[in-house]
Amino acid sequence: MRGKGANVKMASPKTVPKDAQVMIQILKDMGITEYEPRVINQMLEFTYRYVTTIIEDAKIYATHAKKNNVDADDIRLAIQSRMDQSFTSPPPRDFLLEVARQKNQTPLPLIKPYTGPRLPPDRYCLTAPNYRLKSIQKKMSLSAGRITVPRLSVGAVSSRSSTPTFGTPSVQSVTTKVGTPMSLSGQRFTVQIPSSQTAASKSSTPSTPTVQNVLINPSLIGSKNILITTNMVSQNSASESLKRKHEDDDDYDAL
Amino acid sequence: MAAVQDGQLNLEVEKDIKTEITNDDSGNINANSSSPGSTSSGGKSKSPAGSGEDQQTLLAVLQFLKRNKLTESVDILRREAGLSADADDSPISESAGAGSSGAPNVGADGGDANSLLSRVSIATPAALPATAPLAPPKVVAASGGEDQPDVNVVLSAYSQQGDPVLYPLYYNGLKKFIESVLDCHRAELSQVFYPLFVHMYLELVYNNHENEAKQFFEKFSGDQECYYEEDLRILSSMSKKEHMKGNETMLDFRTSKFVLRISRDSYQLLKRHLQERQNNQIWNIIQEHLYIDIFDGMPRSKSQIDAMSGSLAGEAKRDANKAKVFYGLLKEPEIEVPLDDEDEEAENEEGKPKKKKPKKDSMGSKSKKQDPNAPQQTRIPLPELKDSDKLDKIMNMKEATKKIRLGPDNLPSICFYSFLNAYQGLTAVDFTDDSSLIAGGFADSTVRVWSVTPRKLRRVKSAADLSNIDKESDDVLERIMDEKTASESKILYGHSGPVYGISFSPDRNYLLSSSEDGTVRLWSLQTFTCLVGYKGHNYPVWDTQFSPYGYYFISGGHDRVARLWATDHYQPLRMFAGHLADITCTRFHPNSNYVATGSADRTIRLWDVLTGNCVRILTGHKGPIHSLAFSPNGKFMASGATDSRVLLWDIGHGLMVGELKGHTDTIYALKFSRDGEILASGSMDNTVKLWDTLKAFDDVELDDFTAATGHIHLPENSQELLLGTYMTKSTPVIHLHFTRRNLLLAAGAYNP
Repeated sequence: MRGKGANVKMASPKTVPKDAQVMIQILKDMGITEYEPRVINQMLEFTYRYVTTIIEDAKIYATHAKKNNVDADDIRLAIQSRMDQSFTSPPPRDFLLEVARQKNQTPLPLIKPYTGPRLPPDRYCLTAPNYRLKSIQKKMSLSAGRITVPRLSVGAVSSRSSTPTFGTPSVQSVTTKVGTPMSLSGQRFTVQIPSSQTAASKSSTPSTPTVQNVLINPSLIGSKNILITTNMVSQNSASESLKRKHEDDDDYDAL
Repeated sequence: MAAVQDGQLNLEVEKDIKTEITNDDSGNINANSSSPGSTSSGGKSKSPAGSGEDQQTLLAVLQFLKRNKLTESVDILRREAGLSADADDSPISESAGAGSSGAPNVGADGGDANSLLSRVSIATPAALPATAPLAPPKVVAASGGEDQPDVNVVLSAYSQQGDPVLYPLYYNGLKKFIESVLDCHRAELSQVFYPLFVHMYLELVYNNHENEAKQFFEKFSGDQECYYEEDLRILSSMSKKEHMKGNETMLDFRTSKFVLRISRDSYQLLKRHLQERQNNQIWNIIQEHLYIDIFDGMPRSKSQIDAMSGSLAGEAKRDANKAKVFYGLLKEPEIEVPLDDEDEEAENEEGKPKKKKPKKDSMGSKSKKQDPNAPQQTRIPLPELKDSDKLDKIMNMKEATKKIRLGPDNLPSICFYSFLNAYQGLTAVDFTDDSSLIAGGFADSTVRVWSVTPRKLRRVKSAADLSNIDKESDDVLERIMDEKTASESKILYGHSGPVYGISFSPDRNYLLSSSEDGTVRLWSLQTFTCLVGYKGHNYPVWDTQFSPYGYYFISGGHDRVARLWATDHYQPLRMFAGHLADITCTRFHPNSNYVATGSADRTIRLWDVLTGNCVRILTGHKGPIHSLAFSPNGKFMASGATDSRVLLWDIGHGLMVGELKGHTDTIYALKFSRDGEILASGSMDNTVKLWDTLKAFDDVELDDFTAATGHIHLPENSQELLLGTYMTKSTPVIHLHFTRRNLLLAAGAYNP
């Protein structure tokens, strides 16, 4: 490392750590000429994490094989399994051609006329509510998990609770006669459920049919169905360990 | 002769590596073509007199022949075994070529024995039964003697392991030869350099000759055409076999055949040369990895070749572009007069008489007969028109009457929408057809919708409120909107990765967005929420588009497959597989029966929605294609790529009809004006350029020869066709849209 000549506490701009120099060289070899300076740091972090993960995996394999030292085979195995897990590549061409051939043999389905918004069956849509409303009395039983409206909780789509689309708690509003007690303060679900209707709410939550009724209201024009909020329901059916989290959410709701 | 010496050297080294079982090579070859085990490159049992190893080879060959009961072949081989293999080889390969008409892959000029040479995958036991009926036993001997995938131990060793040290010599030899031929042939034969270079390099890497590979690369990579630079760079990073495994594109390249189009004369020259020289290594490689599409006629000039080449897999075979394409437009449906009541006040006198006739006439298609080039109305199921759609159409027609006629002397005005504070995050933009909404997809995974008109965006009321409104009132469509939610823009959250593709539906009810997270999401523009997430691609989806009639949409992404979906099916209806690299751009044809996909393998493919077949392969770009546009009459297509050129294609014939040079950076936006007279192109070089398409398409002359062979001589008229260049203030243009009145809207993110 150069820069010893300058007696400065900070590294002078000319001093670039060896790792970074190597990374710069790699980027140059791969033909990448324009990049922001932060990219080097990001690449180095990635490298560090990757190598550490591989070596840790290799250590596990080595101990599993009752070896004292980690050797090349372990590393190879570790790389291989990581490759299949994180760094997958798309399917090979012949496979794709075969799949495409099969798929393309079926004729295009006819379109039924006048069916309103053409959407897939509900279980494949994201139009179901993924919340349920809690009553003030906090007598939530986990049996409520049963009402989990089928959600596609696979993939990144539904597991990111990043959909703060603000919907009306129309679940409740339909079961109550008039929607007025519900104060829609734009950003939140401030759902004040009068205790007289707790029974209604309690019964509404476990009973899927009530929820369903609200969902598909044919008198609505277009697809103005229930809107989505953060994903709580998919956690409901999980185990006890999530109960705490669930209750926290309840507290949030009751505010 | 040098050739003979080369041969000898070759043999010496081969002795050492004889017994290597390169099973993966034969496996690879299995994947290669329909004829498994085509050790075409190998198979030359070069046995110098009296070498122990080569005796073994011969014995193996003999065994194989005996096993397959090819007794005459056995006799011949025995007889000739004493001679040097060199003498054997040329006659053998000649006859093998001529004889193996049974080989599964027939040359383009069917029936011509010579042309079959190019397609011989010399191999295979599979071919052997086919060759058995062939009369000359010598032929059988030849083909039997050469390919022994079963006895692959010995011979596949040869096949892939032609002496690595000698590769540069072979290549050099070929280079010298090609430099010495007549000028007219040289351009065509030079096409061979690149695929040969890549395959030789890949073979060296595959067989773990890293050093030789590196030397080979350094020596000859500079000779290749400049437009292959990107590929060469990727190649240079692959120096070990493991590197190749991760790179799907290179694997595909290795297993697919690189297509070359060479005139018969040039081809004869090449063949003769390679066969009289005893280094058949190159010949082997050519036969294994190259598909030489031979045509009769004048050899092409360098410029013609350059125009068409550049794609990852060479050019397109002629028969790839022969299927009939229905490029005409579908007939517009008749709109009933009663719906025109609203027009009464707005229309002037010319309007009034029109009301008496069906409005269809004003849309242009006056003939009742079916356009022969147009698909049947019912070829693919299309959604029927709802009342709201009919109203839209009427609006469309009214607007169209006010359309400005554009031309070289009447250029459109351009209105540019700059996205500020996007911090390089703007990745996709779309306008609705009536230009009332803009949607932007961003790298922070949000989708934002803005209203262009003063009318704000409103969300539909909640269910409770909706039950209160008067459903019979005339302005029910206004009443369902919730005024409290009115705002200039709406943000749609849902994706978990940058949004790379955006498309409005024609009826303005839905918005599609495709993202790096592998999903395509359908959003409702009434409620501004997400309705469906279509999962299928597991890799970034680079582009998506709604069909011009709604209901269908396509998406294309990193997994090299484009999918056709319908909004009410959670799985795709069609899968269009065939590209060698990512699909970067997907567009519907105006009649919704065809889909064009542009890819990073530098080709454009046109797919038939009904069958899923690829009906056109268009090569010529030298970089990944990022924009496609169909002309409004459906006949032509324009494409823009990272090579800064816009290419114009005639879809019916599958030919390139124009090349527009002028931009200096990737072209991300292309749009034809409403009547197709002007093409607007927007690029990363911060300009919008307008081109005269009437002139460009007028100049196209198509005689039989060009239609048959696809060799068109492009005039260098880019300057004449360029009507105007409009610069922005450091804002790359990523989307263009002509309003119904032919005002050009452009969009981009300000990038100081």
